[in-house]
Amino acid sequence: MSSDSSHSAKSASNSKRSFNSTNSNQSGANSFSKNKKERVGDSGQKTLGMAWGSGSRSSSRSSFRSSPFTDFGSYMEVKNRKLHEQFDAEASISSHGGSGSKKPVFHGVSIYVDGYTVPSSQELRGYMLKHGGRFENYFSRQRVTHIICSNLPNSKVKNLRSFSCGLPVVKPTWVLDCVVADKLLNWAPYQLDQLASETNNQPKLSAILGLRSNLVACDPANAPLTSDINISEVGDSAEDIKQPNQEYEAFEHDICDEAKDKEPSCSNKCENEVEETNERRRCSDIQSITQTLSMISGSSNKGHSTSFDPNFVETYFKNSRLHFIGTWRNRYRKRFPSSSRPSSSSSASSTCHRNTIIHIDMDCFFVSVVIRNRPGLWDKPVVVCHSDNPRGTSEISSANYPARDHGVRAGLFVRDAKACCPHLVIVPYDFEAYEEVADQFYSILHKHCNKVQAMSCDEAILDITDLDVDDPQVLASLIRKEIFDTTRCTASVGISNNILMARLATKSAKPNGQCYLPPEKVNDFLKQLPIKALPGIGRALEEKLKGRHVKTCGELRMISKESLQKDFGPKTSDMLWNHCRGIDNRLVGIIQESKSVGAEVNWGVRFKDSKDSQVFLLSLCKEVSLRLHGCGARGRTFTLKLKKRKTDEEPVKYMGCGDCDNLCHSLTVPMATDDVDVLKRITKQLFSQFHIDVKEIRGVGLHVTKLESADSVKHGNEKSSLRSWLASASPSKEKENKDHKLVNILHIVDTKNQIGGSHHHQPRSNADVGNILSNQEANHSSDVPPLSDLDSDVLEKLPPEIFSEINDIYSGKLSNFMSKHKLDSNGVGTSSILPEYVEGVAAESEPGIISENTAASSSQYIDMMPSASSHIDPSIIQELPEEIKNGITNLFPAHSAPQIRSHDHLVDQVKPTDHSSSHQLWVGNSPQWVEKFKSSDSQILRFFSDMYSGVGSTHRLSSVLLKSFSANEACLGGKTTECDDTVRCLCQLLKDYVDLELESDLEEIHTCFRLLQRLSGRSKFLLQVYNTTLPHLQTAMRENYGGSLRV
Amino acid sequence: MVRKQNQSPETEASLFLVEFLEVAITSIVFLKGIYPIGAFERRRYMNLVVHSARHPKLHRYIHDSLIDLVSYLQQGMVERVAVIFFNAAKIPIEKFMFKINVNRSHGAIMEDGALESSMRAFLIKLSQSEPLTKASSQGWKWEIAAYFRSLPSDNGDRWIRTQALQWQQPPLITPIKSMKADPFSVQLYIEHPDLLEPI
Repeated sequence: MSSDSSHSAKSASNSKRSFNSTNSNQSGANSFSKNKKERVGDSGQKTLGMAWGSGSRSSSRSSFRSSPFTDFGSYMEVKNRKLHEQFDAEASISSHGGSGSKKPVFHGVSIYVDGYTVPSSQELRGYMLKHGGRFENYFSRQRVTHIICSNLPNSKVKNLRSFSCGLPVVKPTWVLDCVVADKLLNWAPYQLDQLASETNNQPKLSAILGLRSNLVACDPANAPLTSDINISEVGDSAEDIKQPNQEYEAFEHDICDEAKDKEPSCSNKCENEVEETNERRRCSDIQSITQTLSMISGSSNKGHSTSFDPNFVETYFKNSRLHFIGTWRNRYRKRFPSSSRPSSSSSASSTCHRNTIIHIDMDCFFVSVVIRNRPGLWDKPVVVCHSDNPRGTSEISSANYPARDHGVRAGLFVRDAKACCPHLVIVPYDFEAYEEVADQFYSILHKHCNKVQAMSCDEAILDITDLDVDDPQVLASLIRKEIFDTTRCTASVGISNNILMARLATKSAKPNGQCYLPPEKVNDFLKQLPIKALPGIGRALEEKLKGRHVKTCGELRMISKESLQKDFGPKTSDMLWNHCRGIDNRLVGIIQESKSVGAEVNWGVRFKDSKDSQVFLLSLCKEVSLRLHGCGARGRTFTLKLKKRKTDEEPVKYMGCGDCDNLCHSLTVPMATDDVDVLKRITKQLFSQFHIDVKEIRGVGLHVTKLESADSVKHGNEKSSLRSWLASASPSKEKENKDHKLVNILHIVDTKNQIGGSHHHQPRSNADVGNILSNQEANHSSDVPPLSDLDSDVLEKLPPEIFSEINDIYSGKLSNFMSKHKLDSNGVGTSSILPEYVEGVAAESEPGIISENTAASSSQYIDMMPSASSHIDPSIIQELPEEIKNGITNLFPAHSAPQIRSHDHLVDQVKPTDHSSSHQLWVGNSPQWVEKFKSSDSQILRFFSDMYSGVGSTHRLSSVLLKSFSANEACLGGKTTECDDTVRCLCQLLKDYVDLELESDLEEIHTCFRLLQRLSGRSKFLLQVYNTTLPHLQTAMRENYGGSLRV
Repeated sequence: MVRKQNQSPETEASLFLVEFLEVAITSIVFLKGIYPIGAFERRRYMNLVVHSARHPKLHRYIHDSLIDLVSYLQQGMVERVAVIFFNAAKIPIEKFMFKINVNRSHGAIMEDGALESSMRAFLIKLSQSEPLTKASSQGWKWEIAAYFRSLPSDNGDRWIRTQALQWQQPPLITPIKSMKADPFSVQLYIEHPDLLEPI
């Protein structure tokens, strides 16, 4: 559903509205003109009459071959120098004697005389000599400060800027008057009459310009943009915008007048103008967006704090024709629900019975609807367009037939259309009217026929085979008449025996006609039909066929099916073969299910910073989510498309996307979703994968594919409740302490995810999940950990309901407990990870993608969990900071772990353990734990320590365990009186060992756990250890190997 | 073990690894009984009796697919090499995963025999491992697949799409053998479908 892509982007240059910037400010003149010259440099034409600057090169170089000068340029250089010397010499003689006390009148002034003047140029030169000025025989932007002339040819007036390079063009009387007044007069009143009429307020404007150019000069990066605003045409359309500030109405037409009238100070004025300009630019192309539309990045470096308009996306789509067409179908389906289902009886008769298909299409729907109540416009050329500025670069979206006669087509820029047809009437969209008319249109169709297939809002196909109609033409004209009477818009009808031919017939029937193409005539009709007319043949295919000298369907028929297949593949060749023979077996009434849902904005996208882009992405997600809801679908694959500009230049089409590279990234999640929060997060992650400067983005699109019907995914209420759980659970993840309830919850979440991910395998109802929830809660509420073991941070972040529930369990002590604790709310940095669902690819790409995901969204809360840690790349996890790693690790509940764990285990989970010093137990040649255990007062720990020392050099836990078999039961704590502390120590030992060895030596870990399992049959103590560590092992397994270990 | 002298240590190590994998994979295929016994002939590798494919196509498939991995192994991009057995419905029944870690900093192969002895141990364990000898493999197909750490830059035409489908559930893993040696370590484990997996 892309919209507003620039079609035939003509390379017409912006018609530049030039300021006549003759400058009065003498001292600033030089620097000013220099700056300005740089900006104007791109205007192209140099029409200086004698502009042989010192550096200019001559094309007639050959004639100087024998001379001492290498080329004309160097000749001129020498000549200019000589003239200067002469002038200086004369000046020293002829200047006033008393000049020592007072500065000469023309000090710093350097004139260039253009053409015939009164007094003559020689006289003027004399004045300059006398009064300390300079006289240039040849124009030079660097040296000349004033251009003196009495008359200018028309061409120079037109291209004043390129002629004068922004220097003041004054009449010779200025020089005379200056001499008379014995001081330098303001040149403004002496400006050339031809120019003065246009630039009567020159001083002020030029002051502004001077100011701006200074501003530009200090910030070269902004130069192109700022100058663009001032010089180029301002605003795309003025008239149709509800302009809040009426006084600026005149702005576009005569900037100068306006600038003169009001404003206290120049600099202020400048700001105002720039802002207003921005404002104007922003609101120009889309009507009714009166306020800031978007983000012209850097166009003004002050007073432009308008971050991106939050409603941009909504407004955009509200005003998008393509969007209207795209979403119209949903509306239609809701209105005529029965029609979207193909009737079962329709197919049987297709071969034996001759079908009669009517294709009906409104004539230039978008125009005729708007002017349906304005009969005066019916025979006038009318187009529909967002903007009616005659010079605009807005594209015409629909033109009526009179306009088409003038060569106005859809996709043309308004200004080009105006050139084709000066009296073109431009009307805005009227989406409400479109809806109304489309509804009326379909009501009529459904009245006459029960088999209606909607092609678009203004186009439909009727199957009247089963109707008892003698003459389809009569029915068609009846329908057409009714449509006209109701909607006052005309429709054209094509009748034939299949959809293809009916559509082709409509084409020839247009406008406002009908065409009956009985099967007998199909052949003749097709023979001369250019292949381009066939649906499915676009430009590329046409070119290809042209290469084979195929231009008409008749010629296409000559090619054998096999030959077509060879060149175009099976599908296309079938299509070609059938279509050129008028064969079309499609049945009426089948609406294709949409395969993707998405939204794309390629117009007006200018981001200033990443914040802008994030805001924009969020609103785009909202839009897409809404559309998904509208279609009743959920998707699994999300594709983010970006358009990245290819050049720095602004595109011809105002705020358009211009020439762009299209980039896209996509992501598949295991659980179909239409949820806006999930979308947001996925989009953010996708976006971060681009590593693109947001300023370069010209278009953004989000598409959702792999759609599933929303009905098949049963989420129900449990979803939202679980989300709230997750949202509250995630902040606490970085603490590895956990309330046991959270463990439960996460477990349930995982169950839920499984349901979501593979719902067709494991259909489970909400009630089931609910049961699990309540069951588990019931199980654990009996044995709550002591209050001191609870982590206040975790509790604090629980949702109030949960908190109160837990508070109840602790019979109210909890709130007291909480109030005692100071709540430190450090920034929570948790990492969210999205499962990359790789489907049958030889090279698995998970790790790279995940790494980016992880890095990019580390500040995000987790609101979605991977269904299994197999989706997570272990190497990334390894590189995460320890706390985050633990947080993530803990977030993945063990599927296969025993659902109800022993009380001790829970205590173990709740108690703070020093995970940050992970693996320390195994550091050293003789690991630390050996010493630690040796000094322990627990018999078992000492036993293990001894065992380790006994096994010799292998340093393997498996050997220790293996040796333990030979030990008697008493040593292994057969009597279950060991305290929790011992259990915890041993668990920690094992966990560390798992973390240390699992990645490199699965076999060893496997052996250890199998041994432990066998030992646990003999010792309840070891059973405890085994049960506690197994979930950890399985979690680590899933991280490292993507599966669970079979023990 | 024909090696050229002018190869870089990494290339040498990769070729060595590939050679080893070839032997191991052929052993797996042999032990699974996919092909009749006559399709293999006895060979000697590192002083062990191993089997090598007699049929040129089979031999070439194993050999060529592994040789193609050499450059990626050198870059350390290959994470796992899998031998996937799947049934007629293309659902994998068993995956033999070789988890590979090439220590690129290590360089040349040590001649002290540590690597060789662990490789020998590996192959012995492989031939003795229980999962290989049980279960009928009638009508199975198999393929070699590589799992990469990141997408190779030349993700072009040389790659063939895997035929096997994915499992819906995380698999159950049975380790067979892990060997840690320089310049590469290899772990072999079998992935079986989860019990919940619909097959």
